[in-house]
Amino acid sequence: MTTTIPLETEKGHTCKLHPQSMCPAFGSLRILTRIEGSHPVMATDTGCLYGLTFVTHFYGARKSILAPQLGSAELMSGQMVEGTRAAIEVAAREPGVRLIPVISLCVAETAGMPEELLPRRVGNAEVVLVRVPAYAIHSHPEAKDVALAALLRRLGDRSSPQEPKTVVLVGEVFPADPLAIDGALRRMGVEATVTLPGRSLDDLVRAGRAGALAPLHPFYKQTINLYREWGIPVVGGAPVGQTGTYAWLKALGAALNLDPNLVEQVASEERARAQSLLETKPLAGSTILVTGYEGTELAYARLLVEAGANVPYVSSSIGQDPLVFPDEMWLKARGTREVVYRKALEEDMDALDRYAPDFVLGTTPFAAEAKKRGIPAMYFTNQLASRPFFLSGGMAATVGFMQQALGMGERYQTMQKFFQ
Amino acid sequence: MAPKIIRDLSDSSGYWAAIWTICPMPDVHVICDAPVGCFNLVGTAVPDYTDAIPHIENLTPATMTEQEVGGKGTSEKVRWTYENLRDSGALEGKRLIVVSTAESEMIGADHTKLVETFQPGTTFYYSNSLSEDEWTGRDRVLRWLWENYGARGGELGASDVLQPSVSDPQARTVNIIGPTYGCFNAPSDLEELKRLIQGAGGTINLVYPYEAKLADTPRLAGAQVNVLLSKEFGQGLATALGQETLAAPFGMHETTAFIRRLGELFGTQEQAEAFIAHEKKTTLRAVWDLWKGPQSDWFPTSSVGIVAGQSYAEGLARYLGEELGMPIAFVGARPLRPGDPDNETVRQMLHKRAPAFVFGSINEKIYLSEAGARFTNFIPAAFPGPVVRRSVGTPFVGYRGAVHLVQEIVNRLYETLFNFLPVDGAYAKNGAGGPPAGPPQPNAPGNLPWQPAAQALLDAALEKLPYIPRISASREFQMKAENLARTQGIAEVTVEIAEAALKQ
Repeated sequence: MTTTIPLETEKGHTCKLHPQSMCPAFGSLRILTRIEGSHPVMATDTGCLYGLTFVTHFYGARKSILAPQLGSAELMSGQMVEGTRAAIEVAAREPGVRLIPVISLCVAETAGMPEELLPRRVGNAEVVLVRVPAYAIHSHPEAKDVALAALLRRLGDRSSPQEPKTVVLVGEVFPADPLAIDGALRRMGVEATVTLPGRSLDDLVRAGRAGALAPLHPFYKQTINLYREWGIPVVGGAPVGQTGTYAWLKALGAALNLDPNLVEQVASEERARAQSLLETKPLAGSTILVTGYEGTELAYARLLVEAGANVPYVSSSIGQDPLVFPDEMWLKARGTREVVYRKALEEDMDALDRYAPDFVLGTTPFAAEAKKRGIPAMYFTNQLASRPFFLSGGMAATVGFMQQALGMGERYQTMQKFFQ
Repeated sequence: MAPKIIRDLSDSSGYWAAIWTICPMPDVHVICDAPVGCFNLVGTAVPDYTDAIPHIENLTPATMTEQEVGGKGTSEKVRWTYENLRDSGALEGKRLIVVSTAESEMIGADHTKLVETFQPGTTFYYSNSLSEDEWTGRDRVLRWLWENYGARGGELGASDVLQPSVSDPQARTVNIIGPTYGCFNAPSDLEELKRLIQGAGGTINLVYPYEAKLADTPRLAGAQVNVLLSKEFGQGLATALGQETLAAPFGMHETTAFIRRLGELFGTQEQAEAFIAHEKKTTLRAVWDLWKGPQSDWFPTSSVGIVAGQSYAEGLARYLGEELGMPIAFVGARPLRPGDPDNETVRQMLHKRAPAFVFGSINEKIYLSEAGARFTNFIPAAFPGPVVRRSVGTPFVGYRGAVHLVQEIVNRLYETLFNFLPVDGAYAKNGAGGPPAGPPQPNAPGNLPWQPAAQALLDAALEKLPYIPRISASREFQMKAENLARTQGIAEVTVEIAEAALKQ
């Protein structure tokens, strides 16, 4: 939480004037509003509340959101806690309420939201404080981690006997992905999987009893720390692409002490399937920039490179972390020239000038800039999150989508010429 | 005093108002003294859904981090941002305005003095975001723009940027004040207003700020009449300008009065009357034809709930309620007028009994989803909520607005009727055609008797529904209940069976 955003890149000339991230707090809201029986309370000023409610109602859940009025009058008279408690009381009257996440944002965190003055439980509902000031969290994906870790710390069941052959998969992924992963893991001897974040509060409870944690995305740092605290093994990486899938399945098998022969058999099968898909190098000859803000950009870049694409530039809004090093090293060994963290629009624009891509996966502003130049581009989050990605099946879907997208170049140029 | 609780906030803040009012003008660059979220939401995430623009290009944050919040203050970051913008060439030919946010106000950042050391003419706008909502905010920033860049535009120096040409009002010229970014349906309404003004014999002086440059601000003084696109804001600027001010008209009668008044002010009464007469025969003809047709017979039994900005709320209630005779179930204006239902009240009303039509924002749409009110037609009429309204063919104001609204309502009614027509059972099982009534069980011809209490339950449930779908809904419930009774081998419809069928 104490990291700072460097104002200039290593090269010292591209100014990071326009950071690229959805308001970080939205990451937590997305997770917290989607849980059944969860009725959130937001502690913040009205400008923030308006924007975050807007995007949550668009991308999170069709769920009513409560907040105490928090303007100068309330802040100056010290009514923040009283107001938040009153909003919690209203949330507690919702039918079927089991969870009241209190999402404390910039203004409330600056004023100092005291956890000890909030109830821990009201009626049937757990009250969980989630602190996500944008000035300290920096990126939307990292706020997902903050929310998930806060929920697990409170709700994870640590008193019942462990379920040693149960795996917690962490990451917002396409719904079919966990089914495919679950299938592969069961063939290796895993008894059950739990996917977080999800819709069910009981999954959070059960996650405390699991035998291993597998964060499929590399920004679940606090969640990982919590599992380490609990003494539950953590398996990094993800079943992505040919090499990634094999390594991940083997590592998971080792962490859970599964039958090595069985694990080898499943992992080899998956590798063979991936190999047959990639043999023809379906994306060969294409240059693609991967520049989202979701924190999953490196994994996607890996898959594209395995499929034959040239990915010279990858950028993300998450910070540099040991969790992403393996992917970064892997990419840099295979032609990726730059991997940028906490990126700004200026850096992506600079890359656009230097690498002449055939296709751009980017944030809304960056994809718009690429389209302005007639370069095929799509919004990373919407397009990639709505397709399977993991194991050989996900690979086929994602690579197929990219092949289709790469065939659209002319249309982007025609459109650009028309509006020039 | 008990703390005030907000449910699903409808109005943004003074900071949003400032950015969305200033940034449409291409000769301005704004630095917002903001954490990344306040920049992203206002500059990218939300305007992409309200105005269909991928991002606001003349907005740069002085991105606040823990250091700045933790005691360092934001001056250094604002200066760094300014210098880099200047060095990158982004400020060439532009005026720079630094705007505060709730968080910068929270830590007491005031850059009034700092901006004096920036390029000449740079100003600091304190958005008062911890106190002001978007309505008072938009009104105040419009006045502030006039005071700083209009009334005494030349005093701020940098005359190469601003070339004030304050002139006396020219006869038959009109300013349209508003819209800004984030004004629901503004492109269509603006287009219609221009058409009406021209029809009455006037010309457009300035559409401020939407189609203006900051350098045009002094020219606001050159119009004979000011027209406010929304009553919610802009009156402050209009008052400062001192000319006659009219509000955008809704419905046929108010629009006619609007055109006549413009005719009087312009001295073009004959032209205005001729325009009105011609409109009745052309644009408005559709309203007259639908009124004469069977479509209008539905109006008295199709109730309407309205939540929208004040102009829209009052305009819709007047046109749909008074002119077309649709029963108005409730009206809530934003900002709330005394006695208006707040979101908590609207939510409870919609949960209890949803009208046939709801005009509103995504909040009302969510409450309808919670209520499972599938017989209610939702029509977007306000932000928040993602909706593209960039086509100029969907006005709510003026004569074209009157036609568009009545057309929309009739088409929605057609849709309702269509959704109730039976789909053959073989396909209905696949989920085709909306709620399947399902065929009667083949081995059980004839009607089943209903216990009186079960019948009463059905009647009560139907009573809560909008009028038009009742016939079809009644048949649907009846078939469901009787099928259920038959599957359970019961010879009559009991209260329990009716309850179960209603829950399906």
